[in-house]
Amino acid sequence: MRILVIEDDAETAAYLSKGLREAGHVVDHALDGEVGLNMAGAGDYDALVIDRMLPKLDGVSLLTRRREAGDETPALFLSALGEVDDRVKGFEAGGDDYLVKPYAFPELLARVEALGRRRSAPANVTTRYSVGDLEIDVLTRTVRRASKRIDLQPREFRLLEYLMRHADQVVTRTMLLENVWEYHFDPQTNVIDVHISRLRSKIDKDFDKALLKTIRGAGYTITDAD
Amino acid sequence: MLRLLRTTSFRFTIVYVLVFAVSVALLGALFYQATFAVVSKQTDMMIDQDMNVLAELFAAVGGGALVRVMKDRAAWRDDGLYLLLSAPSGALLAGNLTSLPPEALRANEAFFNFSFERTRVDGAGREIGVEPREARGKIRRFRASPDAETSLLVFIARDISGREALRSQSRGQITRIAIATVLLGLVIGLLFSRSLLRRVDSVNRTARAIRDGDLSRRIALTGAGDELENLAINLNAMLDQIERLMNGMREVSDNIAHDLRSPLTRIKGRLAEALKGDDAARAEALRATLEDSERMLSTFNALLSIARIESGEAAGAMEPVDLAAIVAELAELYEPAAQDAGFALEVKTQPAPPVWGSRELISQAVANLLDNALKYAEGGSTIGIAVRRNRDDRVQLSVRDDGPGVPAGEREHVLKRFVRLEASRTSQGSGLGLSLVSAIARAHGASLTLSDAISSPNPRGLNVTLNFRSADTRVSPAASARAPRELTAQAQ
Repeated sequence: MRILVIEDDAETAAYLSKGLREAGHVVDHALDGEVGLNMAGAGDYDALVIDRMLPKLDGVSLLTRRREAGDETPALFLSALGEVDDRVKGFEAGGDDYLVKPYAFPELLARVEALGRRRSAPANVTTRYSVGDLEIDVLTRTVRRASKRIDLQPREFRLLEYLMRHADQVVTRTMLLENVWEYHFDPQTNVIDVHISRLRSKIDKDFDKALLKTIRGAGYTITDAD
Repeated sequence: MLRLLRTTSFRFTIVYVLVFAVSVALLGALFYQATFAVVSKQTDMMIDQDMNVLAELFAAVGGGALVRVMKDRAAWRDDGLYLLLSAPSGALLAGNLTSLPPEALRANEAFFNFSFERTRVDGAGREIGVEPREARGKIRRFRASPDAETSLLVFIARDISGREALRSQSRGQITRIAIATVLLGLVIGLLFSRSLLRRVDSVNRTARAIRDGDLSRRIALTGAGDELENLAINLNAMLDQIERLMNGMREVSDNIAHDLRSPLTRIKGRLAEALKGDDAARAEALRATLEDSERMLSTFNALLSIARIESGEAAGAMEPVDLAAIVAELAELYEPAAQDAGFALEVKTQPAPPVWGSRELISQAVANLLDNALKYAEGGSTIGIAVRRNRDDRVQLSVRDDGPGVPAGEREHVLKRFVRLEASRTSQGSGLGLSLVSAIARAHGASLTLSDAISSPNPRGLNVTLNFRSADTRVSPAASARAPRELTAQAQ
């Protein structure tokens, strides 16, 4: 993925760029809003990472102008502000995701990669997903593995659906809380892990190969690869 | 003094004084006019009557009788009537005046005022000097027939000295009253302005002292119960809130310093050690450092959330929410974790009116309480969440466990930031969970109560109750959410 990081703190930017490059992405970097706006207009990026507070042109205005120019590149806001209102403003400006500082790098990486995926598989109506021999149908809300039907609770189904939509990508606990449960806070206990292990016991337990894997220090992924 | 003259209240006073002075002057003028015009008219009427009587007499019986009557009348002393009858030749025929006043002929037959000096006579008829007199009168010429050549001149006047004295006295009185009104108004205005200024000054002095750094200063209350007193009470309440926030902030920064210094020191020491060690030691040090920094980040996040909630930002995102629905969703999220930890999660909800709040924040508060129960209710077996409608339309949300509980004396304490009971020092946690709950409760204008979950035979378990006001009974959710609400910690 080609990623543009617009962040005025040079050290944070360098840290982000390095991390993203190590994960195999091509990263450009702008230190203020105006340069960022120009670079976003000139380069063909797969994702934008935009700090909300920038010199010369703030992040929200920057993205608003890109969207007005017809640019649909997925964008993630980084912000020290995290209230629901700020989040809403970010989304209204055309942001696709919102991450509050301080954040852990794996969280950022997972979210940026999820954005890139959204773009490469645009919103065409996919109602069936499969990973290995695991298949789900969003319309009929059925789950099968090796043609054997598996019964899931509604929430378990939504959890699996989200993981399947982001197959082969790391999905963090926070992403699951935000997208499956719609909470924007992190519980202090391992509630998500327990849900995952319940789900795992239903889709992986009776089969040879485990598809739902834990990525240490980051989150989970569902993948057929080893 | 100059400041006093510039005050708003003094300016008002000036306007009032002017209005009053004009009113007094107008009233005085009216009174003066009415009184003296009437008296003056009466005098004139009496003179005209006398004149008519004399004229009739003259017409009926002729000049001789007129002379006699007038002589008789003039013989009375000091009843304020002056008479004079003179022959066509100018000779005085009767009367009690020595001569016709010079103004008489000039005024023709109209009324005129005149003054003269009259000899004063004592009881025995001896002259004892002269006195000035004011009088008003008129002359008329009596003719035997309309075309008679000669005429008798009759002059009648009445003494108006007393009236004139009264008139000038009244004029003086009215002027004095007007001046007194103005002066009194000014003095009262100055006194009033001074007392007002003194009270405003006391507010200003307090404000200055606070600006200079003494946040504990408050405006002295006079007990007057008026609008200034109300203003002072409100300002004092505002100052209390500011002081509370400032103290909170100071406490937080102290606590941050304390809570972050120890892990940072630990990291520094560990890294220094690792530099000297082998690869395995270095890897271990890095792993431990990563863990420490993650904990620090989550501490930071919690602190930021609390600060944001306490700044009142959340009030804008509030709407009527259904507590039972919120609780059901959270129970669904926590049920597996509770089961894994050996607890049964019991949810009891009653139909209740919606409350004014933020789903996100209330969920976070309940999540924190559930986290706490999972972490600290060691030896317990049940965690209960309940929503019920209370008396007076409040909606109560409670989370209870049957663990060791919190001793009554420490309940208020645990709501503060970073406080963890000694017993739980070793387990993980930032010590911010309950203070976040307390901040969320305050943002919602809800009361927060900690109590024993089980009171007998021996008290144990913790019951945390949030008492929300239902959405339809709230007048202004934003305003009351900002109002400080005391937290209570009480035993059942």
